[in-house]
Amino acid sequence: MILPKFEYKKAKSVAEAVAFYHDHKGRARYLAGGTDLIPLIKLRLSTPTAVIDLKDIEELKAVSRNNGGWLTVGANVTLFNLKNDPVVREYFPALYESLDATSCETLQMRGTIGGNILQDTHCLLYNKSLEWRTARGFCYKMGGAACNVVPNAKACFSNYCSDNAPSLITLSAQVKLVGPRGERTVELEKIFSGDGRSPFLVEPGEILTEILIPLKKTQGAYEKLRVRDSMDYPLAGVAVSVKGAAARACVGGIGLAPRLYDLKNINEITIKEASDRIYADAKPVSNTVLSAIYRKRMAGALLKKAIRRVLQEGWK
Amino acid sequence: MKDNFNIVGKRVVRSDSLDKVTGAARYTADIKLPNILVGKVLRSPYPHARIVSIDLKRALKVPGVKAAISGFDAYGIKWGVFRYTQDHAMLPTDKVRYIGEDVAAVAAVDEETALEALSYIKVDYEPLPAVFDPIESMKEGAPQIHAEHKNNINIHIHIDVGEVDKAMGKAFLVREDTFKAAGEAYAMMEPYAVVASYANGYLDLWMPNAGPHVRAKALSNLLKLPLNKVRIRHINSGGAFGGRSEVAPGDLVASLLSIKAGRPVKLVLSREENATSSRQVHDIMATIKTGMKKDGTIVAKDYRVIYNGGAYSSTGPIATSIPFYVYEECYRFPNVRYNGYRVFTNKGIRGMYGCHGRAFLAGNEAQMDLMAKELGIDPVDIRLKNGLKPGEVTATKSKITSCGLKDTIKAASERTNFKKRWARKSGLKGIGMGCIAIMCGFPMGFRSGSSCYVKINDDGQATLVTGLVDNGQGNESMVIQVASEVLGIPMKDINLVCADTEVTNLDPGAYSQAAAFVGANAVRVACENARKKIVSIAAQKLRVKAADIGLKDGLAYSMKEPDKKMPISWVVREAFFRGEPVAATGSYFPNIDFEREWVSRPWGQMAGTFSFGTSIAEVSIDPETGKIAMPRFTTAHDCGRAINPMAVEGQMDGSVQQAGVAAITEGNLWDKGHLLNPDLLEYKVPLACDMPDIDTIIISSLDPEGPFGAKEGGLTVRMNAYSAVACAVTNATGELFEELPLTPDKVLTMLERKKGVKG
Repeated sequence: MILPKFEYKKAKSVAEAVAFYHDHKGRARYLAGGTDLIPLIKLRLSTPTAVIDLKDIEELKAVSRNNGGWLTVGANVTLFNLKNDPVVREYFPALYESLDATSCETLQMRGTIGGNILQDTHCLLYNKSLEWRTARGFCYKMGGAACNVVPNAKACFSNYCSDNAPSLITLSAQVKLVGPRGERTVELEKIFSGDGRSPFLVEPGEILTEILIPLKKTQGAYEKLRVRDSMDYPLAGVAVSVKGAAARACVGGIGLAPRLYDLKNINEITIKEASDRIYADAKPVSNTVLSAIYRKRMAGALLKKAIRRVLQEGWK
Repeated sequence: MKDNFNIVGKRVVRSDSLDKVTGAARYTADIKLPNILVGKVLRSPYPHARIVSIDLKRALKVPGVKAAISGFDAYGIKWGVFRYTQDHAMLPTDKVRYIGEDVAAVAAVDEETALEALSYIKVDYEPLPAVFDPIESMKEGAPQIHAEHKNNINIHIHIDVGEVDKAMGKAFLVREDTFKAAGEAYAMMEPYAVVASYANGYLDLWMPNAGPHVRAKALSNLLKLPLNKVRIRHINSGGAFGGRSEVAPGDLVASLLSIKAGRPVKLVLSREENATSSRQVHDIMATIKTGMKKDGTIVAKDYRVIYNGGAYSSTGPIATSIPFYVYEECYRFPNVRYNGYRVFTNKGIRGMYGCHGRAFLAGNEAQMDLMAKELGIDPVDIRLKNGLKPGEVTATKSKITSCGLKDTIKAASERTNFKKRWARKSGLKGIGMGCIAIMCGFPMGFRSGSSCYVKINDDGQATLVTGLVDNGQGNESMVIQVASEVLGIPMKDINLVCADTEVTNLDPGAYSQAAAFVGANAVRVACENARKKIVSIAAQKLRVKAADIGLKDGLAYSMKEPDKKMPISWVVREAFFRGEPVAATGSYFPNIDFEREWVSRPWGQMAGTFSFGTSIAEVSIDPETGKIAMPRFTTAHDCGRAINPMAVEGQMDGSVQQAGVAAITEGNLWDKGHLLNPDLLEYKVPLACDMPDIDTIIISSLDPEGPFGAKEGGLTVRMNAYSAVACAVTNATGELFEELPLTPDKVLTMLERKKGVKG
């Protein structure tokens, strides 16, 4: 499958990238590692007139500790480099595990953390060629008037499949966005729109430039449901980070946004309660290779598995 | 049989390995010819619709477009393997029968232009009701997919041996279960690709394919060209696994485009097109009823197997039969009835697969284990009791000659401490065993045999010419090794010309597991005939008896007085002087009953010999998620004799992945006529990290007919690995599977069913 024609621009700074975007009147896409964007363009799911390459922006490639007690991760840092950062391993085991569980090492070396967070949502009936989709009929996410998975549904049920956003959310991470109207910093869990046609509350032209993680040691784990032990997107994923007696758990891979759960005191009862709530809240539909009801059940089960593992490893 | 060879049986580097690991080997997509055009196909968006009209005029006006075609540019001829299955026009003019069916095509100077032109082709369709499930398709009133096939039944294979009902009535234990399996994708390395070039009245095609001669014949029919004007050329990269066996719509499309444009045309399908529009594997539903005596002897089998055949016949009668035969060639069935139905539906085209029939075979084996357990017999003993032995005759009258079934069962079970571990399982761990027999070749009429021409060149090097085909199995290297043994010429000094219809003679192809037993046998005979000529001259020149001449490392020498020797090149030069160059032919035609017919006379000798194998899988199941881990896989294979043990082991390893691990990951998913996972992200081919540690055991039964005792190498594992996995899961859970693949959701359901029974 060949790429359609588009203009290619390489930005040297964030400001230059935003200016290029402005020139193309909103019909441009930002490119980082490209592991999400290029397939979308090949499948004609995204049809930009220009692609603005952010890879050469040096300021986005750094990982640094700053005085306020944050770890600042530039959006261009590759998943592989971030995984191998000693701070991540020591302070944020949930993130380490989710990075390690992302696709395969070759793609971890290509994909960036910013791109991983802003990856588009997936659906078995969406990520297909134009010919396939034309035969099936366009759904909401393609600008059509129906969902191809759930008859008579009023909304899109595609899945947000970043492995790393859930673990970052358990770590109370924030993201910095820079755009035509200046910059802002928001909690990561607040950037999701809940609308499959446009899953992020990111303004036109805004670039996710940094991820800020409070630099506090945690224990943690990431449990991922998938058919194969590499390459696959999560069919459900649960990240858990524990500080003292409290835990934050976050469920990804089901629905349009990760869902966060706070456990004030970790004990058998709160774990079961959280697991039950996760089960009740999860609303998967038949748009992956495993059944919806199974994924719903696994969301709760993965939480128990993750917490059990954190506690066991903590005792070592 | 002689056991001391120079090179046969040695672990040699395959002749094709260096090119493949360095990337020098060519895929079809790599082929470049002067003025070559890019072909693109317009496909049906409907599962079933009448074609009202096809208008190519606007597409032809796009600058850079050199040809545009539809079925109206063909000759209205339909293809089928048999006279009674000729139903596939390849480019339809009456109606489309599946989503993705080839409807029209263009050839242009580049891909962008071709894509633009496709968008200007106007096709008017009149949508028709469609049917996707074979059970629905067989019902009265279902949409009729081919007018001549009532109830959409494409093929009915009916085999009835002995008195099944009577034996079932007398059996001590009777059990009936139904097993399903999703069809698989061949997922070969290169998606379907072909280069067609029509010039000076000759049509040349390059593509990986299993049988160039049958393909040339099919194309000569479809294109109304004399057979000698169609030449199928050789490509050995890209992969096949059964998916390149028959003529494909793309062959006709690229040929017609090249004929129209007068320029070569390359057609390369996308991965998605390869899945939706080239042949895929049948979904199967097998109902298996088995009767056993109290001592575990199988007294009767009664089968009803339904194959979702998709829109056209393809290899219909063969595909509907093979799972049954590979099973009856393994076990003794005094009474057996098989009703196999291949049913048309509005799904894509279906073909044979190296791992064909997993619902049927894994179902049989898992059910046998559960029945035996009820009788207090373990999987090893039940298989030894019912397994065929040398000299026995199968239910449909095939005589088994060499047979190492028992040895494979024993070797694999001893290696894994099977009996003990099966009996004393802990937690959700399980161990299971699957057995099978494979015919080495099957009736393909006058194409069942092979012949080879060998010439020894003036520098003492040799050239082999044979119709034999290599799709990656290592067949090329195998025959070079055979020739090297017979001629005493090093492998590197032997050139091979193969799988090219212009210069090679008929051969069954890489199609019916015949390459080693039939193809290599013909090479052996040809080389032995050439050897006689070399030996005769060398004996004269060295003044020793012909019986004293040995050939090795390019030398002819006296075995009694090794100082007496001369290079084979001198012998050859002498032969040229005498006007009798060293050249020879040799043929091999297997002992097959040619009265046998898949539908009308399903009995008689199926093949010249049969290979055997036993696979053992070890699994452990996560009780919370149902996910199967497979730490170890052991497989023993009677391949007669391994010409190259390393190559056979490679085939066995690959088979563990493609059939064994795939049994927990692979399956096509459908939304009516839409294939949901036509890509390698959502179609789950097992990855390196999913692979178990593999232990391979080669058993040498030394077949009396096979070249140096060889039979097919590798396919047995492709057809018993899933059975081992299914049986291991039965051992772990106490339950039979309902449907393959055994993805974690299905396994969790099995675990809960088990709990429900207990509670």
